[in-house]
Amino acid sequence: MAPGRVEVLALAAAVRSGERGAREVVAETLAGIAARNGAINAFTAVTESRAYAEAARVDAARAAGRDPGPLAGVPFAVKNLYDIEGLATVAGSRIDQHRAPAARDAALVRRLNAAGAILVGALNMDEYAFGFSTENSHYGATRNPHDRLRIAGGSSGGSAAAVAASLVPLSLGSDTNGSIRVPAALCGVFGLKPTYGRLSRAGLRLFAASLDHGGPLARSAEDLALAYDALQGPDPEDPACATRPPEPASPLLSRGLDGLRIALAEGHFASQGTPEVFAAVERVATALGVSRRIELPAVAVARAAAMIITSVEGAELHLPDLIARAEEFDPMTRARFLAGALVPAAWYAHAQRFRRWYCRELTRLFRTVDVILAPATPYPAFPIGQSVFELDGAKLPAAGHLGVFAQPLSFAGLPVVAAPVAEPNPLPLGIQIVAAPWREDLVLRVAAAAQALGVLASPTPSWLSEKP
Amino acid sequence: MTEPLDPARFVPLAAAAVALPLAPEDLNNVISSFALLARVAGPLMAFPIEEEIVAASIFSPDQGG
Repeated sequence: MAPGRVEVLALAAAVRSGERGAREVVAETLAGIAARNGAINAFTAVTESRAYAEAARVDAARAAGRDPGPLAGVPFAVKNLYDIEGLATVAGSRIDQHRAPAARDAALVRRLNAAGAILVGALNMDEYAFGFSTENSHYGATRNPHDRLRIAGGSSGGSAAAVAASLVPLSLGSDTNGSIRVPAALCGVFGLKPTYGRLSRAGLRLFAASLDHGGPLARSAEDLALAYDALQGPDPEDPACATRPPEPASPLLSRGLDGLRIALAEGHFASQGTPEVFAAVERVATALGVSRRIELPAVAVARAAAMIITSVEGAELHLPDLIARAEEFDPMTRARFLAGALVPAAWYAHAQRFRRWYCRELTRLFRTVDVILAPATPYPAFPIGQSVFELDGAKLPAAGHLGVFAQPLSFAGLPVVAAPVAEPNPLPLGIQIVAAPWREDLVLRVAAAAQALGVLASPTPSWLSEKP
Repeated sequence: MTEPLDPARFVPLAAAAVALPLAPEDLNNVISSFALLARVAGPLMAFPIEEEIVAASIFSPDQGG
């Protein structure tokens, strides 16, 4: 696999044309995982025999002259809160190791399979998705491929690290408050948090149903779009999934920036971070010719409301276990889950009503702008084990503060691409590209345009050039 | 406006009221976690919202307009 290229697109093209066999691709991928996963601890399960069976189906389809699908032979892996038939869906927990194995795959896994992609395993995460660092006490911390002493971000840390280290060209994560975007930014890959309700969550272990989204991670805007297109479509098994038909984004990627009104978020999004973060976003804005500044309404309140809703819904889902076996929760999540079980009901109800107000205001804002740029995280990856980050004299919870720019956007359900700003940063830094609901096409289009200009690029970890 | 709330008093009382056991070794961390939520809830609860604005039963982000 050649890092830094449109790997999903290229691999699928090679398999579809017969230049490469899916079995060969799977063998190479599994060898790479065996050789390199130990260095980053991204995988919690490898589905070897299943992968070979799926590869055989893809190769047989091609040999018989049938279309093997737009993602033919593309290996992918999923955050371990996605159901995989035959495996217990652990969602980063020890408690759920004893659950019955999933009877069938999650909807998004089935959709990627149907498009010809091949599942090779499950990926590490913060317990029950409640975290931004993937420092999991049960399965170990996932390490950042760009500096293995640092966090990968979370909660989809395994999903971002596996793609960043080229163990797979494509993964699935989930995002409640930033859990695709934060690790994508810290690991230097592209991640898409689609509009709330765009992609089915059937078979995905929920965290806070009002805010949960599934989405893909890859190493280019084109790859992200191709995967996203295969994932779309209504699903009555997820009551939040919209009934809209698929709206493919890939055919629109090459439209560039013409006619788009783009602005850089200021206020909340221009403070509470390190200077390098804001400089990186400015570099992208400058390259795109963006000079307009825009302020979103009541962003700090939106973040607060997201925290309240998350805490309450997360605690309610796990309440029986919090009562019966709190000691089996990860010490990294336990106190926060317990605290969520005690939140007064009025706080939750007010947060939900505020959400409606906030969406109304953002709907008005998006009449004047098409795309908004904002930083993805307030700082790059910090060392594993660091609990406090000092910023402008304030001592902040190092992991908790990572969501400061991500939470107010997912709270409104907006589509966002998190994308890596090209070097010279020593550690990856990300930007969020945001649009109105259902306009994934715009965020992917701007990501593709910025990538073509050279200001967005997925960096290759230096140790990948070493022989395994 | 919410009344000032003392997490150190509230957490053990509320946990007992809803029969949520708290191990002694977890208590301080739960109080800290709750204190953070209480801190951010202050400005949230003080934020005025018209009565007509209701929560979405099945949330859809374009219901705001």
